[in-house]
Amino acid sequence: MSEYLLQMTGICKSFAGVHALDHVNFAIRPGKVMCLAGENGCGKSTLVKIISGVYTRDEGEVVFEGNPISKITPAEATRLGIQVIYQDLSIFPNLTVMENLAINSEITEGKKFVNRKRWEATAKEALSKIGYEIDLQAKMGELSVADKQLVAICRALLFNAKLIIMDEPTTALTKREVDALFKTVRQLKDSGIAIMFISHKTEEIFEISDDVCIMRNGKNVYAGPTAELTRQDFTFHMTGRELTDDHFVPKNISKEPVLKVEHLCQKNKYQDVSFELRKGEILGVTGLLGSGRTELALSLFGLGKPDSGTITLNGQEVKITSPIQAQKLRIGYVPEDRLTEGLCLQQPIADNITLSSLKRLSKAMGFLRHQDILDDANIWKEKFSIATDDVRRFASTLSGGNQQKIVLSKWLSNDLDVLILNGPTVGVDVGAKQDIHHLIHELANEGLAVIIISDDLSEVVVNCSRVIVMRDGSIVGELTGSDIPEEDIIEIIR
Amino acid sequence: MLTKVKEFSQKNLYTSMLLALLVLLLLFFSITKGGTLWSLGTWNGIFMQFPEYGVMTIGVMFCFISGNIDMSFVALGNFACILGVQYMAANVTEGMGNGQIIGVMLVAVLIVMVIGAIGGVINGLLISLLNIPPVMATIAMQLVWTGVSVAITEGKAVSGLPSLYTDIGHKMVFGFLPFPFLIFLIIFVISAFLLKYTTYGEKLYMIGTNIKAAKFSAINTTGMTVATFVLCDVICCIGSLLMVSTMASTKADYGTSYVMRCILILVLAGVLPDGGMGKISNVFLAIISIQIIASGVNMFPSMNTYYASLIWGGLLIIVLILSTKLTGNGFFVKKRKKSS
Amino acid sequence: MNKATLKRMTRRTEFWIFLVLVIMCIGIQAASGGGLFKSSTVVTILRSMVVDGMFAMCCLVVMVSGGFDLSFPAVAALAYSLATTICVNMGWCATNPIAGLLLATLIGFVLGMLNGWIIANFKLNTMIVTLGTQTFFTGVSMGLLQMQEITSTLPLGFRAMGESYLFEVYNEAGIRSTMSTMFLFFVALAAVTSFVLNHTMFGRALYAIGGNEVSAERAGYNVKRVKFILYSVVGAVSGFIGMIRVCMERQSIPKAMVGREMTIIPAVILGGASIFGGEGTVFGTICAVGIITVVSNSMLLMGIDTYWQSFFNGLVILIGITVSAVQAMRQKR
Repeated sequence: MSEYLLQMTGICKSFAGVHALDHVNFAIRPGKVMCLAGENGCGKSTLVKIISGVYTRDEGEVVFEGNPISKITPAEATRLGIQVIYQDLSIFPNLTVMENLAINSEITEGKKFVNRKRWEATAKEALSKIGYEIDLQAKMGELSVADKQLVAICRALLFNAKLIIMDEPTTALTKREVDALFKTVRQLKDSGIAIMFISHKTEEIFEISDDVCIMRNGKNVYAGPTAELTRQDFTFHMTGRELTDDHFVPKNISKEPVLKVEHLCQKNKYQDVSFELRKGEILGVTGLLGSGRTELALSLFGLGKPDSGTITLNGQEVKITSPIQAQKLRIGYVPEDRLTEGLCLQQPIADNITLSSLKRLSKAMGFLRHQDILDDANIWKEKFSIATDDVRRFASTLSGGNQQKIVLSKWLSNDLDVLILNGPTVGVDVGAKQDIHHLIHELANEGLAVIIISDDLSEVVVNCSRVIVMRDGSIVGELTGSDIPEEDIIEIIR
Repeated sequence: MLTKVKEFSQKNLYTSMLLALLVLLLLFFSITKGGTLWSLGTWNGIFMQFPEYGVMTIGVMFCFISGNIDMSFVALGNFACILGVQYMAANVTEGMGNGQIIGVMLVAVLIVMVIGAIGGVINGLLISLLNIPPVMATIAMQLVWTGVSVAITEGKAVSGLPSLYTDIGHKMVFGFLPFPFLIFLIIFVISAFLLKYTTYGEKLYMIGTNIKAAKFSAINTTGMTVATFVLCDVICCIGSLLMVSTMASTKADYGTSYVMRCILILVLAGVLPDGGMGKISNVFLAIISIQIIASGVNMFPSMNTYYASLIWGGLLIIVLILSTKLTGNGFFVKKRKKSS
Repeated sequence: MNKATLKRMTRRTEFWIFLVLVIMCIGIQAASGGGLFKSSTVVTILRSMVVDGMFAMCCLVVMVSGGFDLSFPAVAALAYSLATTICVNMGWCATNPIAGLLLATLIGFVLGMLNGWIIANFKLNTMIVTLGTQTFFTGVSMGLLQMQEITSTLPLGFRAMGESYLFEVYNEAGIRSTMSTMFLFFVALAAVTSFVLNHTMFGRALYAIGGNEVSAERAGYNVKRVKFILYSVVGAVSGFIGMIRVCMERQSIPKAMVGREMTIIPAVILGGASIFGGEGTVFGTICAVGIITVVSNSMLLMGIDTYWQSFFNGLVILIGITVSAVQAMRQKR
C-alpha cells in the first residue's frame, strides 16, 4: 500500500487541439482534505471529470490504492469508491428525501420494483453515516441548499466512498451553513475518507484543507501542504502575478449626498437600513449570503418594494417601483448573475450594450438608427477593450470577463447618478478584473456615485472608500478609509 | 475562419434549407405536372389561398419571437368574426348604396379587430402578470372563446354577408393581384419593418432571448408581452376576416386546423417557440412551400388534400432532425422551471 | 394522522381537486333538485368518462416525464381506422373483437415507436415533434390509406363488445342506462398506471427524468431507453383506447379524434400534472376528468342550454390554472 489513496501523474487532455490539462500531477492521501484551487477555466472541472470517468485522459498514469488503473469509466469510479457531488447536487426536487437517498443504489442493484421499506432502510442507513436527521418524507425541492447538500453527501456515502469530490460546495451557503458543512467534512475525514474540495475562496481553503493543489491554465503550479503556504503565495499562484491593484482614493466627493436611505425595511429581508452616498464615492456593501445585501440593492433598483422607510435622491424623496423608473431616476444596476439576469447571450454584442438606451438611439415613433447603435457599441468596445473583432457577434462568443464588460457598458451608456454593482467581478479573469476596477475608479472621480456589493473582501477593500457590513438584514458596522484591513471586516461580518 | 463558416451556416441554415426545398418542389411538380403547374390559374389559386393562414402565421410569429406561443388565435378570430358578421347581417339592408355598405363593413372590421385586441390583452396579462405558462393560458382561452362562440351561435354557421364582402376573397386588384394577397403583402411589409427598424422589434428579440435580463435592463416586459399578444391576435383576426370572405360565413370551429398549420410553418422557417430567433423572410418562404405542396397535391386527381398533411408532417420531422445534425446542437427543450 | 402529514396533504393539488369535485357535485345536486345522484345520471357520467379518462392516463405519464404529446389522438385514429378496415375486409371479428383490439394496439405501438425513436435520439422539443407526427399520421390515415367511415358494416364483434354491460338502471321515465363493460378497462388502466408510476422503477424513472433529466442520467437511468419505451407503450395504449372508442360508439370515423388533445391535456394539467414534468398523480387526473365530465353532463340538469357546455369546460380549466398560478406566486413570496 502506498501512502496515497489516489495518485495521478502527467495527466494530459486536450479538446480540439487545445490543452485543457497539461501534465498535471496530483495526489490525495486517505483521511485528508485536499483542496483543488484555481480561477475559472483553469482546468479544475476537466480534472474532476477524468477522475470520475466522464472524460478519458490522453496521457498520464493513475494509481488508486497502489493499483494502476488503465481506463476509468463512471461505473468503475463508483466501484473504486469515488463519488462526485456536483455543484448542482444532482438531486430530484420533485421527489422525497427518502427516494433521493435510495434511488442510486436501487438502480445500481438493477431493482425493477419499488419497495418503500427497503428504501427507508437505505435512507436511514445513509443518514446515520454522518448522524444527520431530517424528515424522510419532505420534498427535496423544499429544503435549504445546506440540507440538500447534506443529503447529497449521505447519498454518496452509501457507496462505501473512499474519495468524495465536492465541486464548489459553499457557493450558495451562508456562513453558519458552511461551518456545519466543515464539521461534517472533518467527521468524514476522521473516518478515513479522503475529500477533494474544489474552491477558489482563500479563507475556506486555509480553514479546511490539509493539502492544496493550485491550477492555472491547465497546469498545476503548486502542490503541497497548506500549512507551508502563505496567503500572498496562494494569491500569486492562483493569479500568476503579484496583485498591484491600486487602492481607490476619492478625489472629489460632493458635499450633499446624492442618495440617502433612511430606515428602509423589507419584511424577512432587511431591517432599518440607513446610509448616505455622495457623488465621487465608492461605497462597499458587504455581508455573507443571506445578509440582505442583494435584496437591498434590488429594492434600490425597483425590484422588491420596501415596507417602510424612505429613499431620497438629490434631495427629493422618491418611490422606486420598477427598473424603468430607476432608470428615469438615473440609477443603474449590474446584476449578480450575469448569464440569467445580465445578458441575452444569443444576441449580438451591440444589441446587448444598447438595450437600455434604445430611446436615445432611435428617432420619433421608435425608429431605430442602426448606424448609431453600432457606433455606440464600438465606442464601448474601444473604451473597455472588449475582445472581439465585430460587435455584431453574439455575446455568447465572449469570455466571462468580456461579457461582464458588456453588462457594465449597457448601464454606463446611460447618463447615471448612481451605479449599483452586485458582484462586479464574479467569474471574471484577473486581467478583465483590473480593467473593470480601473474604469470604476475613473467614473467615480468623474462624479458618479458607486455602490459595490460583494463578498469578495479584497475587492471591497481595494475599491471602496467606505464599507458597510450587513448581517442578518441589518447594518452592523461601517468602516472608512482608503486602506481598510480585511481582518477588521472579517471580525464583524459573522 | 471556422467560426465564420459555422456562424454563417447557423444564421442562414433555414434560408438555405427552405430555398433548396422550394427548388426541389418546383422541379418535382414541373416534371410530373409541368403543364398544370405553370398556368396562371394555379398561381392565382396559390396566391388566393395562402393569405388567410399566411396572415395568421405572421401574427403568431411575433408571439414565437417573444418566447411565447398562442393556441387561441383561431378560436378568438372566429368569435370576433361571428360578432362582426352578425353586425353586418343586421345592418346591411335592401337598397343600401355601395358606399353605405362599405361603411357598415368597416365598422364590422373595426369590431373584429377590437375584440382581437381584447383577446390579446387577456392572453398577455394571464402570461405576464399571473405567470401562467403560455401554452396553458392560451389553450384555456381557446376553449373559452370556442365555448362562447358555440353558445351564442348554437353551433351553427352565421351567414348573411353582403356580396360586396364575400367578393373580397376572390377579387383581383388591378386585374392581376388577388386582394387577399394584397392584404398579406401589406401586413408582411409592416411586420418586416417593425422587426427590423423599430425599437419594438429590437426589444422583441431581446425579451425572447432572455426576458429576465430584459427586465433588468429597464425594459417594460409586461407591456411588451401584452403588446405582442395584441399585435398577434389583431393580425390573426385579419386572417379570420379573409377566411370569412372565402367561406361566405363563419362558425365556431372554422379553420381549427390552422393553429397547428401556423406552428408547423413557423418551425419549418426556424422561428422556434423558444424565442429570440427567426427571420420573417424565412416565414414567407415556408408559407409558399406549404401552399405549393397543397396546390401540387391537388393537381393529382388520385390524391386527396390529406396527402398534403402527410408531406407537411414528414417535412417537419426531417427539418427538425436535419437542423439538429447540422448545427450540432439543434434546439433542446428549454425548461422554464418554476424557481424552486 | 399527525400535523406534518396533514399539512403535506393540504398542499397537494389532488387534495383540492378532489375537494372541488365533491363540493361541485353537492352544489349541482342541490341546484338541480337532486338530479345528480341518481343511478341513471351517475352511470351516464361514469360511462362518458371512459375514453377521455383512459387517454388522460396516457397523457399523464408523458407529462410526468416532462414531455408534451400532441399526437395520441392521431395515433389512435390511424390505429382504429386501419384495424377496423382490415377486420371488415378480412371478415374478422364477427363474434370476437380480440383480433381487432390486438391489431389496433400493434399499429399504435409501431407509431409510438416512431415518436419514441425521434424524441429519444434527437433530444428535440416533444411538443413540436409530436405536432409533426400528428400531422404525418393524419396524412397517412386520410391521404395515403384513404380511410373511410365505417358505421353499418362494423364487425358484429365490436358492436357486441360495445353493447355489453355490467348492469342496467332505469330512470323515472323508464329510459335504460347501461354500465358499459368498457368501464372495466378504464379501471384497469388507471390501476396499472398507478402501479407503474408508484411501484416500479420505470415509473420512478419517469418522475426522475421529469424532475431533472441530467441527474437522472447521472443516477444511472438509461434515459434514452426509458423515453423510447414510454412513447412506444403510450402509442400502443392509444391504439387500444381508440378501438375501445370504436366499440362504444359502434362506428369508426377517421376524423373523430381531431383536436381531442386540446381538451384532454388541459384536464390533465388541471389534475395537478405540471407541464414542466415530475408532477402528477392518477388520482388527481381522474378527479379532474371527473370535474370536466360532471360539468358537461349536468348542463341539462341545471337547466342550462347544452350549447354552453364547452364554454363552462373552458371556464373550469381557466379558473383551475389561474388559481394554481396565483398559489405558486404566493408560495414564492
